This record gives sequence, structure tokens and C-alpha cells, in this order.
Amino acid sequence: MSKSFAVLPCNGLDKAAGCIAREIALNILENSESEMICPVLYRIADARYTKIAQEKPLLVIDGCQTRCASKLASEKGLKVNIKLMVNEEAKNRGIELGDSLRLREKELKLAQDLVTELLKVKETEKVSESEIVYPETHDYEVYQKDKFIFRVPKEGFLFNENDSWVYISGNKARIGVTDYVQQSLSDIMFFTPPVVGSEVEQFGELGTVESGKAVFEVVSPVSGKIIAVNEELSAAPELINSNPYEKGWIAEVELSDLESDRELLLDFTGYFTILKRKVDEFHV
Amino acid sequence: MSEETFMGVPRNTIDWSPIIDYDKCNYCMECVKFCPHQVYEIRETEEKKLIVKNPDNCVVFCRACGKTCGVDAITFPNKGETTKKIKETRKGMGADE
Repeated sequence: MSKSFAVLPCNGLDKAAGCIAREIALNILENSESEMICPVLYRIADARYTKIAQEKPLLVIDGCQTRCASKLASEKGLKVNIKLMVNEEAKNRGIELGDSLRLREKELKLAQDLVTELLKVKETEKVSESEIVYPETHDYEVYQKDKFIFRVPKEGFLFNENDSWVYISGNKARIGVTDYVQQSLSDIMFFTPPVVGSEVEQFGELGTVESGKAVFEVVSPVSGKIIAVNEELSAAPELINSNPYEKGWIAEVELSDLESDRELLLDFTGYFTILKRKVDEFHV
Repeated sequence: MSEETFMGVPRNTIDWSPIIDYDKCNYCMECVKFCPHQVYEIRETEEKKLIVKNPDNCVVFCRACGKTCGVDAITFPNKGETTKKIKETRKGMGADE
């Protein structure tokens, strides 16, 4: 049995990647019971597509980093289940997309491959389990500006200047972002987890968190091997908005060089000072 | 206004800012609209309509503007190398915080 989606492609006509996004959408429609949401008509006629978007899991296909389809989904308040970015997929496969807006063999094959992968019914994915003893709630210091509230946990956390936190437990650690990230992004609509089993350097990318406004790269406070990701975030990325220190954590790592990493980590006092300055200077 | 230090190290000793590939850039200016730190500047009348005006305003390790670029024209220095250099600079300063 094949999967079915509500498919929202960007349909960007002036870039090869956008044209491929359209091709992927058509291909999915031909090979499954999926339904299309036309981004052009959707802008002016909500009613036509609201039902489709509610009935089926939403697949958003962006051609490039301009993320027109994702932004449209965000504007319409849709819940995104799966995302595909043609540019990135091409890059990952070592395919150079040319300037031609007509699809040739190479582009058609890329579209075909991506569709085959999407429609494949995956075996139940292995769920990574948390191995860290972690308190359910914390004691926070709060800094407020206008209606925006920025919490920072007082005990047990270290931070980097890129607004990520780490909670260390033995040779393992849990990592997440701070309130500064979720307040700056506002409603988070998508979380791309890092790959469990892969290595991350200190300040390396630990997945991305995305809202209508921006894609934020989680900057890892420590180096190590990723042993778990917060599986709940794929269905409910908004947990990061409700509390990024509790249910909205990002990932867990097995530490590889904490002593050296520690040099570039801040304690509560250090981070709280920086946070206040950032909020005063930049938060609007 | 620029951040003056990063982890105790003077910002102007850290080589971290976007590099624009002018062969790819289509001057859509999404990066300019996005960046709240005035790293970029638009030059309407010049051939290069967009420049990295204030590289030291760029938040060290932030690559968010690059993720707005539809033609992938923005790159950044290597993070590992940058981290290494920051640590060396700290050692040279005798920083211990």
C-alpha cells in the first residue's frame, strides 16, 4: 500500500529546482492517492484546499532555500509533516542542477528517485531512547521585554553564545536551544533532527529548527556522538516554543572532549548577561 | 552595533563572516532583509550591488542568512578551524574564564 499526502510544491518557475518541485508533485499524484495544493490558487482561495490539508499528512516541496512553499504553509497555519528541498537533495546526491528550466534526463531521474523514496513504506523506524536522567522541571530566572519572556534555568546547565544549552550527566549530555531562539523564530513549524550515530564538533550543526521567519541551525555546545534525538519534536515541534528546556529538548550526545569544550561554554551568570544584552540590542 | 567579543576573544580577531559568490548571486537581497545585524549593504549604482559591509557584526557561527539564499551563493569559513583559532587566541591572552 502506498502512502498518500496533501502535496504543496513551490512550483517556482524561474529556477530549475522549482521546476523539479513541480515534477515531483505531479509524479506523486500519478503514483499514489495524494492530492495537490496549488500554491498559486491557494494564495487567493483558501477554501479550495483547507479540507485536503486537514485530511492528509502535508508534504511540502521547496525547490530552493527561498522556501516559498514552507512560508506559504506557515502563513496558512498548516502543520507540515514532511519536507523536501530539491536543492539540498541534489547536492546530497552530487547532482549539479543547471540553469535550464526544461527538465532533462538528469532532473527527471532525480524527481523519480525522490518520489520512489517518499512513497516507499518504511519499516518501523528505530526509536532512539533517552539515556539521561533529567529533571522534569527547572528553576528559572526570567528576563522580560514587552510581551516576550526569556527564561534561563539557574542550575545544572551550561550554554554557548549561540543560544544553545547543554545538561551534562556523566559522559553523556542533553542539548537544546534557549528561549532566545524560540522567541526570535516565533511559531516553530518544523524540526530537522541530526542523524543518530553521527559525530558533531563543538559549534557544529545539530539539526535545524524552522519557522515562517527563518531556518535556525542548532549550534552544538559540545562535541560528541549523537545517541538520541527528541522524537516527539517531529510531530510536535511547537514543544520548543512551549519550553525548550523541558519537553522541547533537541538531542543527546556521548561526550568526546568535554574538558576542551568547557573552555568555550558559559555558566548561568555568563549566559544571562549575554542574553540580556542581546534582547536589549536586537529583539524586536 | 557589533558584538565586541565572542567567548572573551575580541571579535575583530575572529575571521567569521559570509562570503558572496558573485557568479551565483542574483541580487534578490533575501539575505539583507533577513540579517538584523547590518552585515550587508546594498549598492544600487555599483556593479556589485551587494557587499559584506560589516563582517565583524556577523554573529560568530551563525549561518542563517545562507539558509535564505535560493541560489546558494553564500558560504562561511570552516567551523572547526574557527573554533581552533578562537581557542589559540584565548591561550595567547591567558584567558581563564
